Amino acid sequence: MNDMTITRAEREAKLEGMGCKRKRVEDIRFTQGKGNYVDDVKLPGMLHGDFVRSPHPHARIKSIDKEKALKVPGVLAVLTAEDLKGVNLAWMPTLAGDVQMVLADGKVLFQNQEVAFVVATDRYAADDGINAVEVEYEALPVLVDPFHAMDPDAPVLREDLAGKTEGAHGPRRHHNHIFEWTVGDRDLTDAAFRKAEVTIKEMISYHRTHPSPLETCQCLCSFDKVKGELTIYGTFQAPHVIRTVVALIAKIPEHKIHVIAPDIGGGFGNKVGAYPGYICAAVASIVTGRPVKWVEDRIENLCATSFARDYHMTTEIAATKEGKVTGLRVHVLADHGAFDACADPSKWPAGFFNIVTGSYDFPTAHLAVDGVYTNKAPGGVAYRCSFRVTEAAYCIERAMDILAQKLGMDPAELRLKNFIRQEQFPYHSALGWEYDSGDYHTAMKKMMEVVDYAGLRREQAEKRAAFQRGETREIMGLGISFFTEIVGAGPSKNCDILGIAMFDSCEIRLHPTGAGIARMGTKSQGQGHETTWAQIIATEIGIPADDIMVEEGNTDTAPYGLGTYGSRSTPVAGAAIAMAARKVKAKAQMIAAYRLEVHEDDLEWDIDGFRVKGLPEKFLGMKDICWIAYNAPPPGMEPGLEAVSYYDPPNMTYPFGAYLCVMDIDVDTGVYKVRRFYALDDCGTRINPMIIEGQVHGGLTEAFAIAMGQEIRYDENGNVVTGSFMDFFLPTAVETPHWETDFTVTPSPHHPIGAKGVGESPNVGGVPAFSNAVNDAFSFLGSTHIQMPHDFWRNWQAAKTLGAV
Amino acid sequence: MDMNGSERIEAPVQTVWQALNDPEILRQCIPGCETLEKTSDTEMTATVALKVGPVKARFQGTVQLLNLDPPHSYTISGEGKGGMVGFAKGGADVALAEDGPDATLLTYVVKAEVGGKIAQLGSRLIDSTAKKLAAQFFADFTQKVARVREEIAS
Repeated sequence: MNDMTITRAEREAKLEGMGCKRKRVEDIRFTQGKGNYVDDVKLPGMLHGDFVRSPHPHARIKSIDKEKALKVPGVLAVLTAEDLKGVNLAWMPTLAGDVQMVLADGKVLFQNQEVAFVVATDRYAADDGINAVEVEYEALPVLVDPFHAMDPDAPVLREDLAGKTEGAHGPRRHHNHIFEWTVGDRDLTDAAFRKAEVTIKEMISYHRTHPSPLETCQCLCSFDKVKGELTIYGTFQAPHVIRTVVALIAKIPEHKIHVIAPDIGGGFGNKVGAYPGYICAAVASIVTGRPVKWVEDRIENLCATSFARDYHMTTEIAATKEGKVTGLRVHVLADHGAFDACADPSKWPAGFFNIVTGSYDFPTAHLAVDGVYTNKAPGGVAYRCSFRVTEAAYCIERAMDILAQKLGMDPAELRLKNFIRQEQFPYHSALGWEYDSGDYHTAMKKMMEVVDYAGLRREQAEKRAAFQRGETREIMGLGISFFTEIVGAGPSKNCDILGIAMFDSCEIRLHPTGAGIARMGTKSQGQGHETTWAQIIATEIGIPADDIMVEEGNTDTAPYGLGTYGSRSTPVAGAAIAMAARKVKAKAQMIAAYRLEVHEDDLEWDIDGFRVKGLPEKFLGMKDICWIAYNAPPPGMEPGLEAVSYYDPPNMTYPFGAYLCVMDIDVDTGVYKVRRFYALDDCGTRINPMIIEGQVHGGLTEAFAIAMGQEIRYDENGNVVTGSFMDFFLPTAVETPHWETDFTVTPSPHHPIGAKGVGESPNVGGVPAFSNAVNDAFSFLGSTHIQMPHDFWRNWQAAKTLGAV
Repeated sequence: MDMNGSERIEAPVQTVWQALNDPEILRQCIPGCETLEKTSDTEMTATVALKVGPVKARFQGTVQLLNLDPPHSYTISGEGKGGMVGFAKGGADVALAEDGPDATLLTYVVKAEVGGKIAQLGSRLIDSTAKKLAAQFFADFTQKVARVREEIAS
């Protein structure tokens, strides 16, 4: 059975298990154009829906005339809020406890809001149809600036909330106020500030941006009137949640709803929420009795579905003269747009922003977040980050640099002085989290050594002197970021979405010939789950990764799970895989014991099978155990070899990293060059180093985009002026710098395989590194903080303001 | 969007004033103007087809003449709706001054606002498009006024 001519190393290599740079199996189809995306799915008799959208950011709807549109050849139906009221779907619940108009009901609250849904035989006819719908608007005063949202005379945006002084997250102080969320000890923190030798205060804004996946949001709904069943193909990061939400709001029994998420072309948080397009396509299919497809175009994606960030963070740090931090106080003004549709676990109106104490040992902290309504698109998704964690990391990493500047201390030294020390883990933060593990000093020192930090600072000092002598027009900045993420939502004790606990799941079924299938509650949008999940199984149960098929996204076959976002897949579903595999292995061990005629305790695991302790020739491999499990199980044992695990994690995981960006900026043009970018990530146990590297490259590229130019911007009249890739910065290979990656490994103590999650770390850590580099470059000219995004124009403006031009 | 400028027209103030109040001349000179009808002495309705960058729109709207001080100045103000493409509203203060016996200096101050898709996609093109349209308007207008003068002279 066991071919002794094969060495242990060869057996190990054949598995392609954890730690192996296994090539992505999904790329075989993606690189040949054989992926299957929602838009590739075509059903007989399929219709196409498209939206009439509001040109006004705030207006009353005086009338909607469908007549001309219904006469357009190919147009079959035009749905408005009045039609949806008949099925009680004119409004829908949001993930954040608010309600949102599906189609404009009486008024519009943001530009490009959905007003009517035109259904036609093809997309062209639908487009002609939307142009023929006549809507009469009466423009209303527009509220764009969140800082004026709670002015006494600010326009009333949400008339539906008139008189409601209680929101989903406590009292509302003003008609445009959504919630106030506070964490921490206010008195203790105020006292720390009173006693402080040094304090800093800065309003740090993290501008509105957008995940902009290359594939936009889309769905195809097909209602079978005879069976009463609804099938939905969609770009869903969380297919099961969609099924449950549809069951709850459309009152269709959950077993008669089939949600299928095929290949997804990037999500980055954009595809977590429920959008009016999904509801309208489903209703249109029920009304017409035919499948209805809705595919967002680029402008619609950027302007209407789920922006990210828009946090305005007034940040204060108290410290001693020697640079020991003693207190942190943060107030956030959160611009949520017209509806609070943030995609956070339901009890967390500001996500996990209370990770804002970062990697530092703050004895006390206090945080208050005020959410407000404005005439902008709703959203607030976790764009390649765990919920509001990138805002928090940016806030604290920028503030630490500002403190260092005030103290005249090197920012690296300040960080080293205040890091949570290795022996303090598990560490209880002042704002309520229990950090699982970390070794910050080692990571930071490794980064400083590899990049020759001291040498770079010397070079910067020389360049500054040369600049002041008028010998160069270039300034140099070093951007440090040492972030701590909080991912893996999450433990059911504090994480749920609309009451659905945030566990995840895996079902492993091995076939008689020693191959198998793993079905998951997660859904890859490019993360490479088909590759990495099989690697965990390979290591756990000794079946080669190539012999395991990973299937996700079909709610009829997959075990219930909460999907993929917030770097939760490896911390939660990755654990479920290991636990399911261990159940399979336990049964396999019983079979092996029976076959090898020993007690189970006399067996030991050896790469791909069980061996009798002390008798190396008595071995039974997993492949053989699979056959026996079905065809000759021990007496009294059920045939088959499969297991399912639903994993409710005991805690979050806390990946961290040390990043450095070296940047040169020409003050006369504002043009920057990223000379070097070094990223050290510690994500615990590393499943596939090549995939990690790819994830880090992607996350850094998105961080680069956001910090250096990517923005959803509104003019003072409420027009979105960044509605296409002409104005919205999406970097290509031309603009993207070279990335250097590195790592340390500090496993999570509570995770079955010690893994922490990595997909979003580079975005969380990357943004402050870029922004700190720009700010560090300008700091010697007298600035403390320049707001993002740092495009050429703004850099040049900064240089001008500081008198360098 | 704000824009201002001046044009020298080879015609006496009175002739220019008349032309500025003549719907037919305005129709011919306003770029893309398909219809312009007088509904009262100071009100007109108009249809104008425009292209700003990638966005093509047909605006339907009303035009009003305000602050009339013949033959020296008026304010022309309008509002147009372009359906899905968006809307535009704005106005221009127009003043005429004698520049020698046979010429008029026309100065204008334009304030305009656009909304909807035209503002989203065309934002960086709006100023240059507006300048181009204004230049075209005055080129045509100067020519028309000159022709009117010739007709009167002959």
